[in-house]
Amino acid sequence: MSDNKVKNTNKHEAVNEFNQTLKGESLTADAWKRLKKNKMSMFGLVMVALYALLASLAPILPIHAYDRQILDHQYLPPSLTKTAGELMIERQIDLIGRLMAKEKRSEMNEAEKERIAQMEYDVDHQTMVIDGKEILVHKMRYLLGTDDLGRDMLSRIIYGGQVSMAIGLIGTITSVIIGIVIGAIAGYVGGKVDYFISRFIEVMYGLPYMLLVIILMAIFGKNIFNLFIALSVVSWLTTARVMRGQIMSLKNSVFVEAARSMGASPGRIIFKHLVPNTLGIIIVYATLRVPAFIMLESFLSFLGLGVSAPYASWGSLIQDSMQGMTNFPWRLIWPAFAMALFLFSMNFLGDGLRDAFDPQSKNRV
Amino acid sequence: MKKALLALLAALMAFAFVSCGGKEEAAEVAKVKEPVEFRLNNGAEPESLDPHLIQGVPEHRIYEALFEGLIIYNYEDASPLPGVAESWEASNGGTTYTFKIRKGLVWTDGVKIDAHTVVDSWIRMLDPATGSNYAWFPNMFIKGAEAFNSGEAGADSVQIRAIDDMTFQMDLLGPLPYVIGALAHYSFGIVPMHAIEKYGNDWTKPENFVGNGPFILESWVPQDKITVVPNEKYWDAEAVKLDRVVYLPIEDQNTSHNMYLNGEIDWDTTAPQDQIEQIQFRDDYHATPQLGTYYYVFQNEKKPFDDPRVRKALSMGFNRKNLVEKITKAGQIPAYSMVPDMAGYPATSGNYEDINQAKKLLAEAGYPGGEGFPAFEILYNTSEGHKKIAEYIQSEWKNNLGVNVTLLNQEWATYLSTRNMGDFQVARAGWIGDYQDPNTFLDMFISGTPMNGGKYSNPKYDELISKAATMADGPERMSVLAQAEKIFIEEDMGVMPIYYYVTINMIDLNKWGGFSFNVLDTHPPKDIYLKK
Amino acid sequence: MTKYILKRFLGMIPTLLIITTVAFIIMRIAPGGPFDRERAIPPAVQANIEAKYHLDEPLIKQYFRYLGGIIRGDFGPSYKYKDQTVTDLISNSLPHSLLLGTLALMAATFFGVLAGIIAALNQNTWLDYTAMSIAVFGVSVPAFVIGPVLMLIFAMKLKILPTSGWITGPDGWKTVLMPLIALSMSYFASIARLSRSSVLEVIRSDYVRTAKAKGLSPTMIILKHVLKGAMLPVVSYLGIAYSGIITGSVVIEQIFRIPGLGRFFVQSSLNRDYTMIMGVIIVYSTVVILMNFLVDILYSFLDPRISYQ
Repeated sequence: MSDNKVKNTNKHEAVNEFNQTLKGESLTADAWKRLKKNKMSMFGLVMVALYALLASLAPILPIHAYDRQILDHQYLPPSLTKTAGELMIERQIDLIGRLMAKEKRSEMNEAEKERIAQMEYDVDHQTMVIDGKEILVHKMRYLLGTDDLGRDMLSRIIYGGQVSMAIGLIGTITSVIIGIVIGAIAGYVGGKVDYFISRFIEVMYGLPYMLLVIILMAIFGKNIFNLFIALSVVSWLTTARVMRGQIMSLKNSVFVEAARSMGASPGRIIFKHLVPNTLGIIIVYATLRVPAFIMLESFLSFLGLGVSAPYASWGSLIQDSMQGMTNFPWRLIWPAFAMALFLFSMNFLGDGLRDAFDPQSKNRV
Repeated sequence: MKKALLALLAALMAFAFVSCGGKEEAAEVAKVKEPVEFRLNNGAEPESLDPHLIQGVPEHRIYEALFEGLIIYNYEDASPLPGVAESWEASNGGTTYTFKIRKGLVWTDGVKIDAHTVVDSWIRMLDPATGSNYAWFPNMFIKGAEAFNSGEAGADSVQIRAIDDMTFQMDLLGPLPYVIGALAHYSFGIVPMHAIEKYGNDWTKPENFVGNGPFILESWVPQDKITVVPNEKYWDAEAVKLDRVVYLPIEDQNTSHNMYLNGEIDWDTTAPQDQIEQIQFRDDYHATPQLGTYYYVFQNEKKPFDDPRVRKALSMGFNRKNLVEKITKAGQIPAYSMVPDMAGYPATSGNYEDINQAKKLLAEAGYPGGEGFPAFEILYNTSEGHKKIAEYIQSEWKNNLGVNVTLLNQEWATYLSTRNMGDFQVARAGWIGDYQDPNTFLDMFISGTPMNGGKYSNPKYDELISKAATMADGPERMSVLAQAEKIFIEEDMGVMPIYYYVTINMIDLNKWGGFSFNVLDTHPPKDIYLKK
Repeated sequence: MTKYILKRFLGMIPTLLIITTVAFIIMRIAPGGPFDRERAIPPAVQANIEAKYHLDEPLIKQYFRYLGGIIRGDFGPSYKYKDQTVTDLISNSLPHSLLLGTLALMAATFFGVLAGIIAALNQNTWLDYTAMSIAVFGVSVPAFVIGPVLMLIFAMKLKILPTSGWITGPDGWKTVLMPLIALSMSYFASIARLSRSSVLEVIRSDYVRTAKAKGLSPTMIILKHVLKGAMLPVVSYLGIAYSGIITGSVVIEQIFRIPGLGRFFVQSSLNRDYTMIMGVIIVYSTVVILMNFLVDILYSFLDPRISYQ
């Protein structure tokens, strides 16, 4: 299976078998042609590429540091036009207004007036050294607002995307690969092998996941490698079961019989004939797993795996924003939007890929 | 196909209307009587209702309704009031206490309560077979209790006795002046031994339940609610005004806050931290200083934290005032000493913020400008509040002292195990006092005690704390304790106090009376009433 | 077939035994114990508690003591909720999760398959995009966001539903609505996407083309051929989803105060409530095994190509 020669002959055979009308074009080139026709998928592809670019260029982008706390700039709403200083004063006036309403007075007292005056003075004079340059700190702008410690939301979302996207993709790919291989073997070979694999999957389902992760941490400590083990250890189970069902229903079809009668090895039948035919479901399945992994990361960080503060992920940003949802909606909306847009793009890209690689759809074209 | 679906839909809707119509009528009938029901967020499902097996705040709230010990709390200031004991007096230099039991007391099933009941109950509490978590508490007071509880001696070694049916006496380990207040604690609760013998572990089920408090258990649906109604046989039944108290174990703070805003509960025992900034302007928001300290523990045995200069520098190197005003926000008080403000106790001055002094100390310890300071971790248990504080301190230490620290969170059980084994460098901790005396904040840092995960050890400190334990109440004893704390905090900086806790309660005091705020955050339902 | 069923049934026993054993070991390796609290208790007190629950015995003896208990149907006392036994806690909470889970999955399956078919039959039109966008939304917004947002809208702003609670009081049925939506959202999304994809595959298959050629009406084709073939991956998914959904969701239960089983999955592990951990694992594994079994049987009915020897 591994060397090039076998692969080449395989490809040749596959083309013959499924596609009598089209010749001379490789599967990938053909798929790419069809993918380009699908507008939504191309949109998805462009967006995913953009996300990847933003995340990898984060350190050199002209954004604030994701962990720089300026307590005066707590909970500032998003704004394109106003500087941090203006928003800060507005917020202070709003808070004083609430206090006045409570104390049933209509005018600010001296201390409050003084505080506002002081703030107004600070806005024009207070400086801070950032990246070696002295700047007027309250003249900064936060496009997407700030969080509870006065950190820039935009930069936290971009940095949070790094870890969330990596985990979503790597987790999905590993779990899907393990799931496909094991599920396909169980479904195709059947009999005792299927029986034992199925029982093994049941055992894995039954084990307390949380304790598994806790022990993993206690024994091997907190590191990125462990995080991936924790992510993939149980997540392949469902894929394997779905795969097994698909293979079982296909393994007696005509084309498999044909391949078998031509003397193809079981390995070749599984991975060259059966798996491509189930790719549609698997890709859909995989795209469904991505959000699950992104959210799983925030759960794992509850157990102490996942990212450590002050680093963030989309999941942790969303989770942290829930309590103040009504007062500071932008803390929820922007990370949720960033994540949803990424997932939308992933999904439409996944659909396009599914259609493009679908061996049967070629006949339609 | 379509017709069948339509018919199904119609049937479902009809069912919904019929079922809700019927129930609404039932609700109207109930309205005629208008019983006063008081509903509260109890925070969590109680682990047990058995006073000898419980150990938390939710359990304490229910205990106050269902049971009464020798002493009960005054709702105003949590000072001791006579409960089952009518009166008491101290003798032998404050090491023996004699209690007169109130006459005519009975359990809810009519069985008499006398001095023997108290003896039997306390013996059960201390019995190793009961397996009580809080047994260490009576062990701190009663002579012979620890020997019995650890299985070294029989029950007769415990120095408590019934002199006659109506007189109970106990001998203490020393003249412990805070003992009367401590007796209101549930670990000194009295329990119906006859019911326990009859029903075993099931005695707290509503159908078997026997108690002696102002209320009696009406229903208990685990994870859903507990309801209690007045106990007619209670000695002070007239004082009880509520017709029913409903304890809801609401775990989600947003949900409980929403329920409070919608009038679905009358008392919320917490508020979402991210909303406090707005909520604090409401009339029904009450933040009260509590007898509790939030602090960081240094691993005193590990380098570089074995150097008091390093510990002091770190403690001086961040701004507590900013922390409580801008991050925790609920009115917490910056803490520079372990013991919160307490009547009669001279406060320790502590090491206040001083960045320059901190830098100097750090340089003296061999780390000028934070250079060469080994990388270390702050350990905390997973929670958004702890995370924020750790993130703030991390950034302050980095900016002010040039010290780099990473954050490590663990879930509760792992965190406790790591902390108690001392396998950390700096760890978050919190302590809520068990009784109103400085000792409850200090005796856990004696060398080698299980709570002392930071392995702080100073023979002078140990000596002073032990000395105070043998002294009678008064300014002298307080000054010995203060001296000990001075060594602990001012000289050694064994731990780093951060702030004193506040408790947050949301309740409309224009509607409810008999409710007051105190350092123990105790609010007996016995006293609560609906204002007209 | 009968032989196969029998074999599978007997196969449950060793599987459960392995799960129980491995879980027992894992549980005891995890740091911390069920009686750890903020205040570390003195060793003597700790020893008393351990003796009371036989935790001082050798591990192997504890294991067999536990197995013996299970055979007698006794799951032991909960270490956290000391007045209840594990059997009490599970039998009180499981029905609530069962009810909510079944309702949620029924709703999710109905609407999911419907949306999937509509999307597939109108592939690459706005109908398809809309249906799939809703599905992506459902799967990408976690329940801990959907729940509070629903509460904010329906309980706080519109004030037409109570915030939380579970079938108590005069408006009991109203309390079911929000958790139902929040819980079924992600299942709906998965089912919609899975069925769209498999419908697409089936309508291109030979037998559907044959049916078309025979002149069968589109409705008949969908009901008779497409639906049956397209259900296969959905059924496979449902088996897994059902075992997950009826054992409850800790997030939904906490937000809407439902006394269900889901909380115990998370809390028993966090509390190191050993007996409770074992109890929920045994319940959950049994459900998983039964569901897998059922799915396998259903497969052979839905798809004549599969046979079990």
